Amino acid sequence: MIEFLAVYNQNWHSWWPQIHSAIYVTLGLTVCSYILAVVVGMVVALGRMSNSKTLQWISKAYVEFTRGVPTLVILFLIYFGLPGLGIVLDAFWAGVIGLGFSMGGYIAEVFRSGFQAIHSGQREAALAVGMTPLKSFLNIMLPLAVRIVLPPMLNMLILLLKDSSLCALITTPELLLTAKDIASMSFLPMHLYLLVGVIYLALSLPMSFIARLVEARMWRGMRNI
Amino acid sequence: MILSEKIQLYAVTLLKGAGYTISITVLTFCFAIVIGLVFGAIKAYGDRRGGAPKNFTTELVIFVIQRLALWSINIFVEVFRGLPALAVLFILYFGLAYAGLKLDPFTAAVFGLSLIGGAMLTEVFRAGFGAIHAGQREAALAVGMTPMGALRDIILPQTWRVTLPPLANYAIGLLKDTAIVSAIAAPEIMFFARNLVTRTFDTEIIYILVAIIYFCLSFPLARLADRFEKQARQM
Repeated sequence: MIEFLAVYNQNWHSWWPQIHSAIYVTLGLTVCSYILAVVVGMVVALGRMSNSKTLQWISKAYVEFTRGVPTLVILFLIYFGLPGLGIVLDAFWAGVIGLGFSMGGYIAEVFRSGFQAIHSGQREAALAVGMTPLKSFLNIMLPLAVRIVLPPMLNMLILLLKDSSLCALITTPELLLTAKDIASMSFLPMHLYLLVGVIYLALSLPMSFIARLVEARMWRGMRNI
Repeated sequence: MILSEKIQLYAVTLLKGAGYTISITVLTFCFAIVIGLVFGAIKAYGDRRGGAPKNFTTELVIFVIQRLALWSINIFVEVFRGLPALAVLFILYFGLAYAGLKLDPFTAAVFGLSLIGGAMLTEVFRAGFGAIHAGQREAALAVGMTPMGALRDIILPQTWRVTLPPLANYAIGLLKDTAIVSAIAAPEIMFFARNLVTRTFDTEIIYILVAIIYFCLSFPLARLADRFEKQARQM
């Protein structure tokens, strides 16, 4: 055990700068793809709730596609497949786009179920007192939906943090790939992958703690609705 | 070679991979259910015991064992829900090989995915057991059933209503997650696809085929999941 830990002590100054910058790449991937996924999810959810049959069909097909095809395949298609069509993306942005679009389908479903859970009378009442559809959406529907949507949305963020490790396979220099690089140079795979595992836990456990806290708080005093 | 011939050639290879993908998925699913059921039951019922209190030492030993079991299960769940699957696979495959235990890729893949799935299903089954009124168990024990018998014949059949939708969704997620085990060179669709790509450079065609195969595999599962969800809502 002591010997095992002593290895960290010896190599820390050479490992830490690389691991440190890789943490930022992982966080950057997570945040950027989350923003993209929320935008995509919002658009697709609006498409599914619209009156146009075509829009409904397209957004349903999109959700089914992201539900059925692994994120890794989408990432490979974007990073290795698109250059054949003349679109070359660097590994970071290919990762952001792949993760964002594959998570977007899930987030769309979260939004949709959030809005469907609101009683239709709320919207009708807002329209009846003379609010425009947009205003009733922003002032009435959205505040109600946030309550339902926020806890699963936080879980999606944790999922994205974990899924960002897939970008190691399309050579984005994030935590896992950095660990793999150092491991292949130093021949200490166990140390590095365990270190990376601990870092992922250190990032995701506080998030899931916050998610649980938010979930408990959101429904305070709302049991009857 | 014309396009249709190429597609046919690639599809044959990729469908061979699909066989491996299905067997990894099915094996992992079975192991994960076993882990989830056992740990979920311990999490839900681990802090109770029937029968009259015995002497102080026996009670203390039982108490300590119960606490230790609950703690270790909680730690197991938190760790494997917080770790990316790829990191777990790397630890099991590359890390353990360094420590002297050389697993073959297929075993490492099934082992790693089972641990992750087990952690997830532990929570699913705990929620399922939690949804059953405590009176059901008490009544079963009162009429003389053993705790195991009550769990098997009374409680478990009632939990399916709560647990089937997340189980089906887990199966879909698992099928998709098997794509990453190609990173430790376990044979499955993605692994065959990557080999094909390095030989033929037909990147787009191959990965689009892969996407289609995964979609065809998961589509029936998704319909099943939707049906379970609908049934659960109606009950």
